[in-house]
Amino acid sequence: MKGVVFVELLSMAESAFGEDVVDNVLDKADLENGGAYTTVGNYPCEELVKIVQAFSDHSGLSPEVLQRKFGHWMMEFFAQHYGGFFEGKEGSLEMLEAVDGEIHVEVRKLYPDAELPRFDARRVNDTELELLYSSPRPLVEFCHGLIEACVDRFGESGSIDIDPTVKPGNKNSTMFNIKLNEQ
Amino acid sequence: MSTANEDQVSRRRFEREKAARQEAERLLEEKSRALYLANEKLNAYSEELEKAVLERTADMRRALQKAEAAAATRSRFLATMSHEIRTPLGGLLGMIDLVYGDETNPETREYLEYAKTSGQALKRIVNDVLDFSKMEAGAFQFENEKVDIRALISSVVGLAGGNLGSGESRIRESISSSVPKLFLGDATRIRQVISNLVSNAVRYSTDGPIEVRAFSTRHEKGALLRVELEDHGIGISPELEETLFKDFSQIQNRLTAAAQGTGLGLAISKQIIEGINGTIGVDSVLEEGSTFWFEIPVEVIESVPSKTTGKSDLSKADRRSVAGVRILLAEDNPINQKLILTFLKRMKAEVELAENGAVAVRKFAPNTFDLLLMDVAMPEMDGLEAIRTLRELYPAEDIPPIVLLTAHVMEAIHQESKGVGVARVLSKPISYDDLEAGISEVLELHQSETPSTRGVEAPSPAKADVIDMMSADVAKQLLDAMPKADLLAIVEEFISDSRRLLGEILAHQNNQNAALVAQSAHSLKGSSGSLGFPRISDAAKEIEGGITELSSERISQLCQAIHDDLSLLDQAFGKQA
Ligand code: HEM
Repeated sequence: MKGVVFVELLSMAESAFGEDVVDNVLDKADLENGGAYTTVGNYPCEELVKIVQAFSDHSGLSPEVLQRKFGHWMMEFFAQHYGGFFEGKEGSLEMLEAVDGEIHVEVRKLYPDAELPRFDARRVNDTELELLYSSPRPLVEFCHGLIEACVDRFGESGSIDIDPTVKPGNKNSTMFNIKLNEQ
Repeated sequence: MSTANEDQVSRRRFEREKAARQEAERLLEEKSRALYLANEKLNAYSEELEKAVLERTADMRRALQKAEAAAATRSRFLATMSHEIRTPLGGLLGMIDLVYGDETNPETREYLEYAKTSGQALKRIVNDVLDFSKMEAGAFQFENEKVDIRALISSVVGLAGGNLGSGESRIRESISSSVPKLFLGDATRIRQVISNLVSNAVRYSTDGPIEVRAFSTRHEKGALLRVELEDHGIGISPELEETLFKDFSQIQNRLTAAAQGTGLGLAISKQIIEGINGTIGVDSVLEEGSTFWFEIPVEVIESVPSKTTGKSDLSKADRRSVAGVRILLAEDNPINQKLILTFLKRMKAEVELAENGAVAVRKFAPNTFDLLLMDVAMPEMDGLEAIRTLRELYPAEDIPPIVLLTAHVMEAIHQESKGVGVARVLSKPISYDDLEAGISEVLELHQSETPSTRGVEAPSPAKADVIDMMSADVAKQLLDAMPKADLLAIVEEFISDSRRLLGEILAHQNNQNAALVAQSAHSLKGSSGSLGFPRISDAAKEIEGGITELSSERISQLCQAIHDDLSLLDQAFGKQA
């Protein structure tokens, strides 16, 4: 996983709990390099899971909630640093449809070692999208947060449900049903 | 306590930041090292590539130089060899002709005939090999001159018939009235092809008639001329048909091919015909006979055939007589002198001999000669130089038609001779018949070109063509200002004046006097411009403007173009005769 994800996770934690707390939590967590991360490095995804768990222990918030919040944080970060991907998109559904075939494609060009998920999108109608997320990494709620934040970004609202009945063949897949409210 | 704690916290934070920075720096170091190595590799590649390219280029340059040197040596060798072989061969054949003419003993005459036949065969082979090498070297250029195909066919047939020795010719000519009287083409090359086909037919079909047919059909260029030669010989097997037009280097069994005597004739004919955008082929039935044919697109000058139907007026028997014609002969080689003098005397021409170009110039005076016969290579002043000098000294109408004699095979001579205005180039060694035919054809053409009514200004319908050749607006302006007859007289004067200027340009160019070239080109530009001949004035303008930069080839090209245009004008005038 790219160092930038770790650095941003710690930034979020600092803004939420303060620097001291972050330092303490990192000290207690059993991390390979003592919690020193740089944006230009690459680190195992398990470390990320450990850090999230450590903050969960500290705050009493569930790891899922934290991941989701982090998804919001990261969407903000993407929007600030990679605004180009958002330009020309009519709405969140169009944006989400573009992740797999456009945005992550560009990411992979720049970082051939990036660990990216796979998305299969099916547009039900103007306001509804079925997005099948597949990844070997346990980041479903992070993805959930990204999707929520994406809808917010485009000034839209609606419901984002995980369909528990759809597990097509692969336990690494999750189906998101995104329904926007009529405007 | 809290401060100590804060200190402690910031130390840990500091440690962590430091670790992160060190990690980042290590990664950067690694990346830049990888980059550096990749760059090194790339440099090495490009250096290698550059070296390879340089080496390859040098190799190619060396190869090219070698090839060029070889080609130059070869063409120099060819030029020399052809000269060296043709000159004595010509002497030999000519002398045989002379002895034969005086000999009365039938046995000796027979031997002489054998000697002559062998000599001619040798001459043919030498010519073929030279032609073929020239074609291979791409040095073959085609002329654009007036061709009278009827005259040409009858003279070829006349010669071939004579070769048979037995009075009656078994060659029939049938030339359709669809065939244009005069067209633009390379007479020498077309004659070469026809004569090759005729001599093959004579050689390979021992009995039965041989028929030469010609007809023509419409074509975007003017007309498509088709000439056919039918014999009733043994015919050609399909396998042989395939190899027939190839040179013997392309045929499996060269010895056989050579022994069969097909030699290079058909291969050369094919090259010639294809060189003038035509096609050549044969239709044959074994044991019954063959029809060789070729088709060439031609630009028609005069479409209506002459009223004398049947045999052309230039066939051997009744071609224009050379008797009484006054000829100035410039020739340095004593044997050739003797030979040609004797030939000409036999034709009952009146000959004045000049032993080089300078003497010829001194001996020349207007109205004293009907024809100039000029050798090219002569000491002191060569033939082309002499012609240029004459053109400088005298107006065009005072100079009779000029026939050039040359043993040089290089096309450059032909090219150059066009520039100075030569009616015909005959190549040495020359036989009695070829010389007589050449001279009489030139006289014939010259006569039809020079209207006897010169000076009498009766605007004939044909002269309208001349006006058509002027740019329309200029012509209209001039016609508004003067009667047509006056305008035509002016144009006629313009033509001879332009010829003089063209001669001057060439002469000055030869002396590398750029200023004078520009001066003459300038006057030509002016006069042609005001009479509305933009092609001529454009060419003159290019010469005038670019005299220092233009290559001499370009200049002779331009002069040639002007010359051609003037000839077209001449023809337009000639039609009224
Ligand atoms: C709505 C839009 C997006 C969604 C839903 C999305 C989803 C995800 C998810 C779920 C991951 C985690 C990897 C995994 O699950 O296997 C991820 C990783 C990543 N995404 Fe996106 N993404 C979006 C837009 C973007 C944008 C705009 C960028 C900007 C360039 C981006 C760059 C990345 C990067 C750099 C990673 C990390 C890869 C690694 O760590 O090796 N994504 N994305």
